[in-house]
Amino acid sequence: MVAASGLGKRVDTAAGPLDILADIDLQIHTGEAVAVVGVSGSGKSTLLGLLAGLDLPSSGDVWLANHHMNVLDEDGRAQVRGQLVGFVFQSFQLLPGLTALENVMLPLELAAAPGPRAQAMQLLERVGLAGRLTHYPKQLSGGEQQRVAIARAFSMRPAILFADEPTGNLDSSTGETVIELLFELNREQHATLVLVTHDEALAARCERHIRLEAGRTVPASAAP
Amino acid sequence: MNQATRWRLAMRLLARDWRAGELRILGAAIIIAVAASTAIGFFTDRLGRGMVNQSADFLGADLVLESPRPVALAWLDEARQTGLVTSEALKFSSVVVAGERLQLAGVRAVTDGFPLRGRLRTAAGPFQTDAEDSGIPASGEAWAAPRLLTRLGLNRGDTLSVGEQELVIRKVLTFEPGQAGSPFGVAPRLLMNLADVSATGVVQPGSRLTYQYLFAGTERDIARYRDWLKSRLGPSHRLVGVQEGRRAVGTALERAERFLGLAIMAAIVLAGVAIAMAARRYSERHFDMSAMLRCLGASQRDLLALYLAQLLVLGLLASAVGCLLGWLAQLGLLALLAELLPMAPSATSAWPVLAGLLTGLVVLAGFALPPVLRLKRVPPLRVLRRELSPLPGNAWLVYGSAIAAVVLLMWRYTDSAKLTLAVLAGGAAAGAVLGLLGFILLALGRRLHGRVGVSWRFGLNNLWRRRHTSVSQILAFGLALMAMAVIALVRSDLLATWQSQLPVDVPNHFAINILPDQVEAVHGFMAARKVPTTQIYPMVRGRLVTINDAPVRQAVTKEAQSDNALNRELNLTWTTELQEDNRIISGRWWRVGDSGRPLVSVESKLAERLGIEVDDYLGFTVGDEAFSARVASIRTVQWDSFRPNFYMVFPPGVIEHFAATYMTSFHLPPGDKPMLMELVRHYPAITVLEMDLILAQVERIFRQVTLVVEYVLLFVLLAGFAVLFAALQASLDERLYEGALLRALGASRRQLRSGHLAEFITLGALAGLVAAIGTECLAWVLYSQVLHFDYQFKWPVWIAAPLLGAVLIGAAGYRGTRPVVERSPVLLLRER
Repeated sequence: MVAASGLGKRVDTAAGPLDILADIDLQIHTGEAVAVVGVSGSGKSTLLGLLAGLDLPSSGDVWLANHHMNVLDEDGRAQVRGQLVGFVFQSFQLLPGLTALENVMLPLELAAAPGPRAQAMQLLERVGLAGRLTHYPKQLSGGEQQRVAIARAFSMRPAILFADEPTGNLDSSTGETVIELLFELNREQHATLVLVTHDEALAARCERHIRLEAGRTVPASAAP
Repeated sequence: MNQATRWRLAMRLLARDWRAGELRILGAAIIIAVAASTAIGFFTDRLGRGMVNQSADFLGADLVLESPRPVALAWLDEARQTGLVTSEALKFSSVVVAGERLQLAGVRAVTDGFPLRGRLRTAAGPFQTDAEDSGIPASGEAWAAPRLLTRLGLNRGDTLSVGEQELVIRKVLTFEPGQAGSPFGVAPRLLMNLADVSATGVVQPGSRLTYQYLFAGTERDIARYRDWLKSRLGPSHRLVGVQEGRRAVGTALERAERFLGLAIMAAIVLAGVAIAMAARRYSERHFDMSAMLRCLGASQRDLLALYLAQLLVLGLLASAVGCLLGWLAQLGLLALLAELLPMAPSATSAWPVLAGLLTGLVVLAGFALPPVLRLKRVPPLRVLRRELSPLPGNAWLVYGSAIAAVVLLMWRYTDSAKLTLAVLAGGAAAGAVLGLLGFILLALGRRLHGRVGVSWRFGLNNLWRRRHTSVSQILAFGLALMAMAVIALVRSDLLATWQSQLPVDVPNHFAINILPDQVEAVHGFMAARKVPTTQIYPMVRGRLVTINDAPVRQAVTKEAQSDNALNRELNLTWTTELQEDNRIISGRWWRVGDSGRPLVSVESKLAERLGIEVDDYLGFTVGDEAFSARVASIRTVQWDSFRPNFYMVFPPGVIEHFAATYMTSFHLPPGDKPMLMELVRHYPAITVLEMDLILAQVERIFRQVTLVVEYVLLFVLLAGFAVLFAALQASLDERLYEGALLRALGASRRQLRSGHLAEFITLGALAGLVAAIGTECLAWVLYSQVLHFDYQFKWPVWIAAPLLGAVLIGAAGYRGTRPVVERSPVLLLRER
């Protein structure tokens, strides 16, 4: 479902070129739940950006469900993202100008899917926010905002879900509830999950770990 | 994303941004630009349409023939045979007497049927409601304008005399067709019956009279008669049709539109700056959203369409509000000018509204589009790395589109590429100079930094740190204050100079229409009363018809063709002595032996306008007789000396055989006015022009016109405030954060507020200072080059402008920064 070969990202700094990522080879299969782990600055988020087609690599190739991402242009990659990919971010990234319902409807509307309102209402009910449809993000707690973001991520029934530190801005018990929801929905929809985290406990819930150290993969154990 | 989704989403986002107050400044700036331009648009459109609809009514006929002498009866017979209705009138100026008072009046003596088009309007008493009136004054009666009655202290039913004839005032005349061409007419009007004219004794050979023949009929008959008449007209005849009537008012209107339009451009450009600032902030606050939308699969096209739709709707809505405000502003403009307007304004057309909407969209496109276009280039990776922003807009695009918008809008007012470029270049140069000045003052202000208290230091620091926006605000307000100060100065100085430039014994009265056989007697009359007069000059009415044998209209440049001197009879005179204040600048004055030689001396400004040089041959007609004369000299004339002065002066013996009247000027102290009464009673044909009254009228007009300009400049000031608030909004997030930080560190609300006050008072005072410097320079140029006044240092401006700036901007800035102390510092720091 997701594949990378010889993937590298180099940036120019004042001290000369710097490899943020180098020689990454990986394969993630359909339905798999994979955690990308590593300390701060190890290149986790950069890898996520490259795999999801948000950024272009300096070297190597990325395939997303047979789409060769690094040969597509920005609008081509956007189209693939819209059709196949869901995102959950640490900072929720809801549009402040739209209500909870409208935020969830947005990907459906962008893709011109039929009945966006009914689908979105169903999903918000599923994440326990049936009573918060017309609230704006500002009027919701952090946990509620992340639940809206999860509902939005699953609204297009994505083949792949990328989650970037989804509990990073939440307290532990709220984080627990949100993660529970994320994994439940992931199982229901048989989506492939790529989860970036530095939280070992969260990573432990995934089937496989990809560990990054200074921009390179190091051998990692399968989940227990 | 399909079209419907885009629109829905765009409108939802727009509504949300509006409610959150994100778009207020942008909207307000568009409103100001559109209101300013539509105010002028409505004003000129309504007057223009009024002119077209009412020109026949204003003329009082479909065609009017004017002549200094009666025309052949056959001409009128021909008109009747062509199927036209005709009516006759006689126009002249005369001093009207009532008891001990007298007043120069514009008299028209009319016959039954006058006017053929439109209606006279009369009222029962001065300042009472008027109504259309289908009659004319009966013999022995007169209808008088309210101003004439006030001046003479008369009421309806009282008696006044025109020359030797007494007339009873029956009605108050409020509107008289045929006066459209002279909106600034000085003398109040009097209407009487043509049958009474001979009894007045006003009509004498050589008197300044205008015989009017009015014609009305179908368009075809009028055209036919016009063709027939044209070949028979002499140079002293003037044919005025509906078109010609329109043209005179139309030109004035066009000039007004052009001039006010350029003032309005300053407001539009400033509003544009505010729009650009607000749009930039709007764009920056939508980076996250754009990145997220890209992340969710929106294409660049989707984003572009989403934002353009919002911009379009905002632009249209704000422009509509602007049109509404423009309509209201135009009512104010009309009210200010009500007394001077030659016509009632018509209902408006849709054009100003359309132009207003277009103006709004053009300004928005020129100033807001570049920052908004940036939004489509937001990298989607920003969702993971917030520091990623799209590349700043190409400077060429940013400035290019703004300049293009300004050029496009300015073109509408100037209608000429050359003038547009000149104004643009001049504006840019002035902006650069004033901006540099603002920057220098700002840098000097910073020098005070070490010597002031903590609040002032905080304020000065803020100004310097945001020096680019500070300079733009100084420029915006400096410009508005400067324009207003210059207008106010010119007005008060011009008025003061007019009054003070009349030394006590300068002539303040002209006596014209003195008949040849009265010259000696008038001279004696004045001498007996110890009133010194200037020389008495003969006047012969004639037209300039050829220059070097070419018809004058072909001989002169296009601009000069409409020169007033070509469209009316000139006063020709002869004399041996050169007037004291005249100076020969080329050629030579008469020598002994020039008497009787066909020579002429021409006034220098007229010579310049018409391209006349020494040794050119000028052809004239007086009555039906033509003659020519060689230009012997070009003369400068001091018109404001209030002595009799002439465009064309001949040596004795060239035009003496024509019927002439004489004129002179003299000084009369206000207490001696009753003498005028005696003069007019003795010599009813004489017309006395009281310059003090005429000057008072000119003053009134001047006051009104400058008031209108100031009214229009208010839009410039408003646009300046839009720039201030846009700059405030742009820096608000930063200010909020700093304020929270300072309060967390122990600064009191009061300290913060004094800091803000110090900042904006300084900004306002600096803008005022820039305005004062600019005013001083501009006024100096204006006074020394254009108005030829003695220039004095304008110290009041140096106090008033900084003070006004400090108060206005201090108050507005203080108000605008209120959120900084109103929001909780804890929340602000946490949000960060």
